[in-house]
Amino acid sequence: MTDISQDPHATPARRIKWGRVLDHAILIVGSLFMLIPLLVVLQTTTTTDIETIKNGPELLIGTQFDDNFMKAMFKASGFSGENTGTSMLINSMILGLGFALGKIVIGMMAAYALVYFRLRFATFAFWLIFTTLLLPLEVRILPSYEIAQKLSLLNTYTGLIVPLIASATATFFFRQYFRSVPEELVEAARIDGAGPVKFFIDILVPLSQTMIAAMFIIMFVFGWNQYLWPTMVTTEEGMYTLVRGIKQLTQDLEGTNIPEYGRANMLALIAILPPVAVVIFFQSWFVKGLTESDK
Amino acid sequence: MKAFKITTAAAAFALMANASFAATEISWWHAMGGALGDTVNQLAEDFNASQSDYKITPVFKGTYEEALTAGIAAFRAGEQPNVLQVFDAGAATVIGAKGATVPVQDLLVDNGADFDINDYISGVRYFYADSDGKMIGMPFNSSSPIMYYNVQALEKAGVTAPKTWEEFQTVTAPALKDAGYTALSQSHLPWIFTENFMSRHDLPFATNDNGYEGAEGTKILVNNDAIKNHFTAVTDWQKNGYFEWFGTGWGDNQTPFEEGKVAIWLGSSGSFGGLAKKGLPFDFSATYLPYWEAVTTEPKQTFIGGASLFAMAGKSPEENKATAAFFEFLTKPETQYFWHQETGYVPITEAAYEMAKADGHYDRAPAAETGILQLSLPAGENTKGYRMGFYVQIRDVMNREYGRILTGETSVEDAFANIEEEANGLLARFAKTQN
Amino acid sequence: MKRAGFTTRWLPILLLLPQLLIIAVFFYWPAVHAVQSSFFLQDPFGFGSSFVGLDNYRDLAGSGEYIKIARFTLLFTVLVTFFSLGLALLLAVKADNVIRGARSYRTLLMWVYAVAPPVAGFIGLLMFNQSWGPLTEMARAIGWDFKLGVNFNDTATAMVIVSVWKQVPVNFIFFLSGLQSIPKSVREAALIDNRSAVGRFWDVTFPLLAPTGFFLLIINITYALFDTFGIIDTLVKGEPGNNPMTLVYKVYVDGFRGNDLGGSSAQSVVLMVLVLALTVFQFRLIERRIHYT
Repeated sequence: MTDISQDPHATPARRIKWGRVLDHAILIVGSLFMLIPLLVVLQTTTTTDIETIKNGPELLIGTQFDDNFMKAMFKASGFSGENTGTSMLINSMILGLGFALGKIVIGMMAAYALVYFRLRFATFAFWLIFTTLLLPLEVRILPSYEIAQKLSLLNTYTGLIVPLIASATATFFFRQYFRSVPEELVEAARIDGAGPVKFFIDILVPLSQTMIAAMFIIMFVFGWNQYLWPTMVTTEEGMYTLVRGIKQLTQDLEGTNIPEYGRANMLALIAILPPVAVVIFFQSWFVKGLTESDK
Repeated sequence: MKAFKITTAAAAFALMANASFAATEISWWHAMGGALGDTVNQLAEDFNASQSDYKITPVFKGTYEEALTAGIAAFRAGEQPNVLQVFDAGAATVIGAKGATVPVQDLLVDNGADFDINDYISGVRYFYADSDGKMIGMPFNSSSPIMYYNVQALEKAGVTAPKTWEEFQTVTAPALKDAGYTALSQSHLPWIFTENFMSRHDLPFATNDNGYEGAEGTKILVNNDAIKNHFTAVTDWQKNGYFEWFGTGWGDNQTPFEEGKVAIWLGSSGSFGGLAKKGLPFDFSATYLPYWEAVTTEPKQTFIGGASLFAMAGKSPEENKATAAFFEFLTKPETQYFWHQETGYVPITEAAYEMAKADGHYDRAPAAETGILQLSLPAGENTKGYRMGFYVQIRDVMNREYGRILTGETSVEDAFANIEEEANGLLARFAKTQN
Repeated sequence: MKRAGFTTRWLPILLLLPQLLIIAVFFYWPAVHAVQSSFFLQDPFGFGSSFVGLDNYRDLAGSGEYIKIARFTLLFTVLVTFFSLGLALLLAVKADNVIRGARSYRTLLMWVYAVAPPVAGFIGLLMFNQSWGPLTEMARAIGWDFKLGVNFNDTATAMVIVSVWKQVPVNFIFFLSGLQSIPKSVREAALIDNRSAVGRFWDVTFPLLAPTGFFLLIINITYALFDTFGIIDTLVKGEPGNNPMTLVYKVYVDGFRGNDLGGSSAQSVVLMVLVLALTVFQFRLIERRIHYT
């Protein structure tokens, strides 16, 4: 590939290099645009809260990093002493994973049923499901809370996760994906005598690797980052999630106090790590999946 | 010997189990994050340690609005906490819903506590009371808007803190401008320049006795000449460089004062705690909110802001007893003084105020007293409070229109006409929810 | 639907059941609730209520503010979607070009995706702080007196920038994957056929990326309409004031914050109808596209 790209522009070797330089320049500017705000936040975790409030971010590294880290991870921010950074991290993890897995499993099943089966009420079911696309929980949060209570789901992981799953985004994307799978595959499977369950598990699921990975990234981060719903359904501090914990630390009324920026920002940075790990992990997985399936 | 040991251990265990069984547990939903939340937790711990019959658990429920809405949703679902913190703007919603709460006064009296509304400092008595003067909500974190000033800046300009707005615009502000300062900023236009403008000048804020007599037919009286003249003056000050507005965010207006760019800042008496902790590069002090001599020569006390605690209905008598005990604990002078010192919010009882005075708190921090003194100024006909439904939205409308005035997008006249129309629309809608 | 491989009767029902059950309980039940409440004005605690017919809708239609918010929502969605996709595509194409450092760029560019919207908003507050925000200072250096929370346009700009910042990484990851999945043979052929890099991009790469792009378009519209809620709430510091806001934020402000159940339910119903229209439109578009290929 390298020699070909050199070839058409053989004479002005410099021009190619300028192109490369431009590429790198754009990438560097882009990376800076993305990263500098995070570095700014990182800087504020090393200085005292008063300094941050007075001067904002500065070009110096303070001494409060360890202190803020210990506070963020191990100091409880509530009454019972149960909502430390560690316990909130675990709850966020359960919420993120539960949400992503639930959404993918339920969505794939429904999409499979819609695409591969002759159903009398298929069109009806289809519209029933896809009407729920897009409308977020925030705008139907009060009735949802009442229902969660009636089903005694308050302060449970089920109550945290299941109501959030009630929309059809994953189903929608899996449906689109399944429809792009060549029809010959089903024919071949049928000739081989594979039943619908076998076809689903042995052929369709492995084939959908990339889609699953993509969905997992989106859904995990979405679940992980929820704020309003967890605030509504949990009252036990042992059930609090990270994003909620961060808001608790920064809340300040009428300037009565100094918000704990250092600790909150540290918590915010810690909150970024697991989803980033998920993105990095699944990204290489689905890049590979995509490239392989196309060859 | 061994057997004896075991029996004592068992007995001790049984006793402990008994004690923990006997303790009535109650819950308290609040909106106090950060360091305030730590103080709230401390109060709860102190209450639990002070006796063994009751145990209270505070739960942080987000912002004021989130806490109120969570409380309402929980009430509808039968999962309400025993105690709910409700902010000033939400008071009408809660008090309007008779049957949602047990009036504090009834709760205390029924459970054998002494209650005399005159134990409370005069400015906080009736803000959360009904039209008959019965206290419905227990004032908790109470504050009032006061005027903070940079002592050195005023000295440099050769002026003293203005008593009236006339003095401010003719003497104080020009001198401060010459000395290189922006004279004034403030942190909450609806609260400071509207609600408390009305109480300070003893102007009616709404019909039906400021809304206390019920939601039916209540109309806002905000579109009056006194306040329109005030806002016209504010825009003039802005043009002359005497006043600057930094948006609806509280802190954005406070910061320039802390940086020494703005010499006078109108904030909350509760802000005292935060200002003191920041180690400002200048001395600050505080005094009463100025008034217009053209409107009144007898300025009155102001409203309280902040929030109050409501005892939610639908709880067992034992739990209500526990809630009453907690409220009693909260109003004790020691508790109030602790809260006052830790947070800067005003103590709500005369006894606590006396205790703070006797302890020399105000000799050490004179500015901490301003809020209480202002709340203890003479009361007027219109100073006990206001009660308007959907008031959160009404404040939003005010904020929006004021923002437009100060960015030059609308005129004072149009803005107030809009506020009146939209607020009355909201009030009429609210009245229909009360049938 | 023409594709329908299997004829088993009970299996598809079983497969659909969990999805249908969850949306019935947590979507349709609340939605019916919302439609119902939109015809009433009710006390939030559930004590009083009056039937007001279509009044809540009439109030909305008659509110100039509501129309303004709808207009802003449209503009905001277009800007956020356009810039998030455009920037991500540019970066992905460049990252796909370079060999040296490709991995580092990839890693550097995707961190932000994991930032929670309220936290993103909070970071935005740091960057645009009125007294020391680095971006405020940069704007001032070029003579733009940037004032977050004071000036409507400045605040809107900050909302768009923060929302785009948060969304570029996910688009970038997907575009890059899409680019890297273009077979080598296609690229080599394109290199011979078309010498200009720009021409090559539009003739070969762009059409091949279209499916990814379409998928992302929907994701981004959803994001801009609904998931930016946390960013907006944080940037306006919980006080809408004279700041810009979107339709979803308005539902939240009136319903969740202000406890106007009837009014906010009517807004929810309006949103549902809008979204339904959008969904039907999208489906017709997609079905047609798939039909051609």
